[in-house]
Amino acid sequence: MTDGLDQVKAWIVKRHPDRDDIAPDLDLIENRLIDSLSFVEFVFLLEQVSGRSIDMDTLEVDSIRTLEAIDRTFFKARVS
Amino acid sequence: MPAHPAPSGPGWANLGMDIVSVKRVRRLLDDYGEGFFERMLTPGEIADCRTSTGLDVLSLCGRIAAKEAAFKTLRVRDRFLPWLDIVVRRSDGGWPLVHLRGGARHMAAASGITEITVSISHDVDYAVAVAAPIITESKGETP
Repeated sequence: MTDGLDQVKAWIVKRHPDRDDIAPDLDLIENRLIDSLSFVEFVFLLEQVSGRSIDMDTLEVDSIRTLEAIDRTFFKARVS
Repeated sequence: MPAHPAPSGPGWANLGMDIVSVKRVRRLLDDYGEGFFERMLTPGEIADCRTSTGLDVLSLCGRIAAKEAAFKTLRVRDRFLPWLDIVVRRSDGGWPLVHLRGGARHMAAASGITEITVSISHDVDYAVAVAAPIITESKGETP
């Protein structure tokens, strides 16, 4: 897991104290860990952590549906 | 009456509703400042929420709830709320008016929705909004 993803995971856990861990394949949207309001803040976080600008209008839901997808889309992609 | 009505068409109106916590929005305002809301609200909407002492948090909550409620009437899957394409302004009479543009307008047209009407209410800790679509006979959308 990348440092960036660790920060993302910590951000989610901080806002959902009922959870002490989040499985990499857990659907963050179906489980309401990210809703419409927190989505905007979440994108803001992703921009800060990944150093990339994110266009909310073109962002695919599946790209932030799970921690695995977030890692693949925003962190591992930078290495290649 | 079918248990699962079609998502659109004359006779059906899928309502949308949302509730927004003042506590959550106030935290966002405190943590990120007014600029954060420029991702969710147009300059006109932000102006509608402004008072002589600054942004009114309850008004912000009401706008946000109205956008979410309006979006829910569209019944679209795997799409994020197009915050800036669902515009909720205050009319001269004081009631909210919804204007759809861009992606939201196309999503609405795909369901035969031409307009959305919304009502907002708020009390100390929460704002709520309910929205209803205006559905017309499909005439075929022009690209």
